[in-house]
Amino acid sequence: MDYGETQEVQETHAAIYREKVEPRVGREPLSLWLIATYGLAVFFGGAYLGRYAGNFSGDGLDYMGGAPRVAAKASAASAEQVTELTPVEKGKKIFLANCATCHQANGLGVAGQYPPLAGSEIVNGGSRRPVMIVLKGLQGPLTVKGQHYGTAVMQPWEKTLNDQKIAEVLTYVRQEWGNTAGPITPEGVAAMRKELAGRAESFTEPDILAVPTEADVPGGAPPAPAAGASTPGANPPTPKP
Amino acid sequence: MNPSATTNEEVSADVEVTTSDVERVERALIDASTRLPVLVFYTSAIAWLLLATFLGILTSFKMHAPDFLSGWAFLTWGRIRPAHLNALVYGWGSMAGMGTAIWLMARLCRTTLRHPLLLIAGAAFWNLGVLMGIGGILAGATTGYEWLEFPGFSALTLFVAYLLIMTWTLIMFRYRRRGHVYITQWYLLGAFLWFPWLYAAAQVMLFIVPVQGVMQAAVNWWFANNLLFLWFGSIGLGTVYYMIPKVIGRPVHSYYLAAIGFWTFALFSSWTGMQRLIDGPFPAWMITASIAAMILSIIPVATVGLNHHMTMRDHFPLMRYSPTLRFTVFGAIAYTAFSVVGVIISLRSMARIVHFTEASMGYTMMGLYAFFTMVMFGSMYYIVPRLVGREWRYASLIKLHFWGSTYGIGLMVLLLLVGGFVQGLSLNDPTLSFAESTESILPYLRGRTLSWILLSVSHLVFAFHFGLMLLGFGRTASVPTFLNPLESEGGGH
Amino acid sequence: MKGLQPLFLGIFGIFTFSWLGMTVVPNLQIGSLNPQSDEEGTDVYPMPPSGMALRGAQVYAANGCVYCHTQQVRPEYGGSDLERKWGDRRSAPRDYIFEPKVLLGKMRTGPDLANVGHRTALADAASPTPAAGAAAAPAPGTSPAAAASPAAASPAASPATTVAAASPAASPAAAPGAPAILPPAGSQPAANVPTSAPSMVADVKALTKDGKPIPYTAAWHHRHLYNPRSIAQDSNMPAYRFLYEKHRISGELSPDAINFAGDSGENPEGGWEIVPSYDAKCLVAYLMSLDQSHPLKEAKAPATVAAAPAAATEAKK
Repeated sequence: MDYGETQEVQETHAAIYREKVEPRVGREPLSLWLIATYGLAVFFGGAYLGRYAGNFSGDGLDYMGGAPRVAAKASAASAEQVTELTPVEKGKKIFLANCATCHQANGLGVAGQYPPLAGSEIVNGGSRRPVMIVLKGLQGPLTVKGQHYGTAVMQPWEKTLNDQKIAEVLTYVRQEWGNTAGPITPEGVAAMRKELAGRAESFTEPDILAVPTEADVPGGAPPAPAAGASTPGANPPTPKP
Repeated sequence: MNPSATTNEEVSADVEVTTSDVERVERALIDASTRLPVLVFYTSAIAWLLLATFLGILTSFKMHAPDFLSGWAFLTWGRIRPAHLNALVYGWGSMAGMGTAIWLMARLCRTTLRHPLLLIAGAAFWNLGVLMGIGGILAGATTGYEWLEFPGFSALTLFVAYLLIMTWTLIMFRYRRRGHVYITQWYLLGAFLWFPWLYAAAQVMLFIVPVQGVMQAAVNWWFANNLLFLWFGSIGLGTVYYMIPKVIGRPVHSYYLAAIGFWTFALFSSWTGMQRLIDGPFPAWMITASIAAMILSIIPVATVGLNHHMTMRDHFPLMRYSPTLRFTVFGAIAYTAFSVVGVIISLRSMARIVHFTEASMGYTMMGLYAFFTMVMFGSMYYIVPRLVGREWRYASLIKLHFWGSTYGIGLMVLLLLVGGFVQGLSLNDPTLSFAESTESILPYLRGRTLSWILLSVSHLVFAFHFGLMLLGFGRTASVPTFLNPLESEGGGH
Repeated sequence: MKGLQPLFLGIFGIFTFSWLGMTVVPNLQIGSLNPQSDEEGTDVYPMPPSGMALRGAQVYAANGCVYCHTQQVRPEYGGSDLERKWGDRRSAPRDYIFEPKVLLGKMRTGPDLANVGHRTALADAASPTPAAGAAAAPAPGTSPAAAASPAAASPAASPATTVAAASPAASPAAAPGAPAILPPAGSQPAANVPTSAPSMVADVKALTKDGKPIPYTAAWHHRHLYNPRSIAQDSNMPAYRFLYEKHRISGELSPDAINFAGDSGENPEGGWEIVPSYDAKCLVAYLMSLDQSHPLKEAKAPATVAAAPAAATEAKK
């Protein structure tokens, strides 16, 4: 049913008849109070933004304080947490990530394939030989603790691990599983790295045996090797040349 | 409904410009051209409103009676709730808003609407999209992002429908009669251009090329808040800017205020949204920027509020006679309250308490219902009689609708804000078990069910009244219903 | 407004400004994060979730869990999240990089779930979790004796008792029977497995010393989803029974059947059992994959939050 057909046109369009003009706009000026309100809002909004924006950094999750300082503090705090780990603990993580595949987490290696580190005469000797092997790798055959390891191959780690990490992992290895050798410093590793810089190929057993058992890395901290030197005497037989 | 010259002497001083007969004929022609599409939009909107109301009662009731109807997957609370809100947002709010916007655009551009059937096709597609979307939500195909729950196929349908509607509105604007562009048109143009961009950006960044991790939540809230402000807010404010001066027949107070209000509104409210993620896993500056934008949005609120207030000054008694003015002024005041509450609850000291509580729901309902929906009711009371050529039938039903909605939404907002605060206090007290915080809100949630019942009565009354108008049972008097207090109830025929 | 150009330019400019500032720039900052690992490249966090958990996230979204549960832990100044033991630290963007749907949530009608998968490991009578506190009444009569009795009373007693007997003391024995309700073990970061594994295996029948069920095992989740109020009387979470199937017991009780220890009102009649559907298993796998307990560099260390803020909030009040 359509509308209005039976009705007076006047009535049908009553609403339009009494309608006011389309809206117009006046030109009253702004009041001072309003301008003051603007100022206040801009002031507070700006202050809020400036105070709590965390320097617009993507890492500033917390709104308090200037971001750079907070960020620095936070990273310092987390760094602290990291350094709370002793070199041995860090070395353990490095060992588990890189070495445990062959030498096993218990340091016993795999019979006939990968020599043990626990009780090994090389590990428990001076610091020079372990650093040499880790830096440049080792090409079998090799005899450790009287067992023969014909095919053992160890990759060079000089590119994968930095001095710090090599020092940590070796310190761990030399003090775990009953091993009693002294710690190794990153400086010592660095010195060895420099000394061996020219060498491309891995060491072999004769190379290792050519180095005196108790020889230490060049710049290594003197007291540590001394402590290490006193104990290896108790170690099982030195390998025959 | 606007007052006739006989009942408001105080207005007559302002109305020195009399509308010529030519203009009257022109308006009648424009109304005739927009009649069908706008009524289709309104009818669909009201149908969705009824569905949303029903789901709203159910959602609210299940909140404190969790085992009620929980046996069926499609009636579980977690599906009813998004279905309810999406019916309210996309079914009722958007359709009512677009209906009003089309009519306003035609009137303000002083051009008839050509080929209205295309707009009707747009409305049909939109309805289809909402229907599929709500069906999808109930069937469990929801996306899980607030206010974007509609599954992809439904979102696509909505988008196509929207482009049709938007294009038509812009074409209307293109062929407008010369003259300056009125404030309402700024808001409507803004709304019609912002919505597709907003919707497309959210769809692309969430579903087509999804952003990583928490950025999804950021995009989600950027969308939801901008939908509330730039879409519903713009249409609502634009409507207020038309209805108030139109009904009282007096120019808007100040152009300058209107311009400042519009631009600062767009600038600041588009940067809000992240305050809803306060203290979440985001860089602090995002949240702080949104809170600062909330604070700065005091500027447009004060400006727009003052402009409306000065326009209305000395004319407040007219609200007794004009339902349009009643609803519109209520909505305009609610907009101010909505913004003030928004600033308060987003400040960090307050958000610490009310974040993650029902208060955020109360805030959303203030914007979506107390402001936007009430303004839409007001515009419908003005526009429908012009489209069907009849006056509203019963003044008593209009009153019932107004007071039902006013008390319903007032009660709901109050309960949710206060209840949210109480809930937040007990949430933040670690000596109380978590269950106690939930229990502390339960009385308020029961009260909310009551408020939904009030709202549903008022919506049913309105839908019935609207149905009478559609079917031609409106009055054929030359005096608007409700306007003349002396007129008796059965004054029509 | 004079001239339309400024109007249109302004409308587009303002929106571009908002779009760039609120989504594009943050996306450049936190939109392409990588998992964190330590110097050796081990200890990677977070890890991609399992396939079941991915599907579970969809179930989680479909049933609207997000409207009541958040998945974010606020910092100590943001509320009592840390004091409620919902996490050891605040959540950070990196926690979510592998989440298929980031459902942070905005309402806490239910407790936070950011660490619900980890909180199983806290199943310890000595440190009651909030939920254990919330479950004020783990049903009267939830004692080891009562736990076994419903199964024994069922007509299908002879085969069923063998399963029921594998309850409190012999919880490791339940391990072979339970894998169906566990997330694939391989998907868990290796570091997390040792702590959480024992409690994951623990059946709902397993009880701590003071007679409360161990919270947050898979069996706990299933029982809770099927009937929240059988675990926490005051809960207003709806039951998700449509995620469960009722089967006639054929031969033996299914290993993943829900055991309503101590809640005789819930037991299905004799010869029937309630078993989780695949969706329910995925949902539980998803819930159990929610775990932000791993430390993150950018989120503050938990040590400072344990004592100080508690005192601070007390002082504030």
